Amino acid sequence: MHAVDQKEESVFQRVVLKNASPFHYMKVHLVLENETTRLTAVELKHFIISGLKTLHGEVGAALNVDVLKYDDDTLTALLRVSSRGLVKLWSSLTLLGSYQNQACAFRVLQVSPFLLALSGNSRELQLD
Amino acid sequence: MSVFMDLNVLFSPDRNRLQGVIETAAHLGFSTVAINYVFEPSSKKKQVIPVPCPISELIDQLPVVQGRSRPIRVLNRLTVLMSDSSHFRPSAPEYRRFDLLAVQPTTEKLFHAACMLYDVDIVCISVTEKLPFIFKRAPINGAVERGVVFEVSYSAAIRDATMRRYTIANAVCLMDSCKGKNVILSSAAEKALELRGPYDVTNLGLLFGLSDGDAKEAVSSTCRAVLLHAGNKYYSTSTASTTGSTAMSTTAMCADQSVCVQRPGGRPVGSSTPAGSSRRRCTTQTVGSDSPEQVAAAAAGGDLCVFTWTGEAPAAKKTRSDD
Repeated sequence: MHAVDQKEESVFQRVVLKNASPFHYMKVHLVLENETTRLTAVELKHFIISGLKTLHGEVGAALNVDVLKYDDDTLTALLRVSSRGLVKLWSSLTLLGSYQNQACAFRVLQVSPFLLALSGNSRELQLD
Repeated sequence: MSVFMDLNVLFSPDRNRLQGVIETAAHLGFSTVAINYVFEPSSKKKQVIPVPCPISELIDQLPVVQGRSRPIRVLNRLTVLMSDSSHFRPSAPEYRRFDLLAVQPTTEKLFHAACMLYDVDIVCISVTEKLPFIFKRAPINGAVERGVVFEVSYSAAIRDATMRRYTIANAVCLMDSCKGKNVILSSAAEKALELRGPYDVTNLGLLFGLSDGDAKEAVSSTCRAVLLHAGNKYYSTSTASTTGSTAMSTTAMCADQSVCVQRPGGRPVGSSTPAGSSRRRCTTQTVGSDSPEQVAAAAAGGDLCVFTWTGEAPAAKKTRSDD
């Protein structure tokens, strides 16, 4: 969807893009109580879908969530979700509290409609 | 200016656990955290209001907040669970040891009294049970005018599925009645893994029915408004010295969130400590200085000040400094 807003008197032109990107990308990190536990990518996706189902039911579980990248040493994943489902996915990740009877927390590191923005993270910038 | 605050971190006698929670909060980006002492008075036996542990005893080195250069600020807060009107004594001296005062009413009458009459900063909405009463517009609007905020905590929703339903139901009910104003979201975290980052909590606010702007305010500006409402001692002006012909007046934010205006010449107009509530202070001081260094020193004190030049200087110079 694309809306153009123009000012008459000057040459200034403002272009407003609404929902330019159909997807939102999230970089998340799973923190578990027992730090030596490891998950495979399939287990992680199952865990996320079960969280969606718990909070938002079957409609939430039907949301298209993709795990684009997964690092199983650091338990960091790159997720992709359609923009309509961002609030649902994010809230279900926030309220997920336990994985196989151990306490856990999903730390959302970055969220962006553009995948390129996730390549750099100013919060982890080391300034010498 | 988005300074994120989490005004409800449950106190636990285990030092290491509390230290872990504060470190996690600093890592997640919260600039201020308030340690909550829950006090549940019962009419059967006399109970002693807990004394807050001084922060220096709890944790030696306050961790630096991620993304900023200052260490995290830790405050003390008391929550009184009220099931009877005698439980909350309006001017008990023990309350003065805490920076924030909260109350959790369990009946409609107590809720009305807490919103309209009691000298509290926060009214907690219970999330562990079905709402015992319906929210009416009248006490909520009264509370909004007084500057009292409503608090919804989310960590119960993380622990248990039934609590999740109650949290969302009660929060949605509150948002319907108060239209999203004067709401804060906080964890009632006992462990570090129950804390969530500020943007995650903002997203939860969307789930509860707040608009985008209101949800972010619930974690940032409304929390700051609560601190100012409580007459937090960090925010009162301190030094004053009057010299020279150019006198600058500084004004501090009043308890009711309107700025006291000082007429040039140093006489405050209409500013006075509200009678009967000594917890809130509204102080106006006149700082006269000829040197910009003193200005910078007063401004760097972290106070909210408005400087106005009086005297020969033609331009009115305003600087605002706050953390």
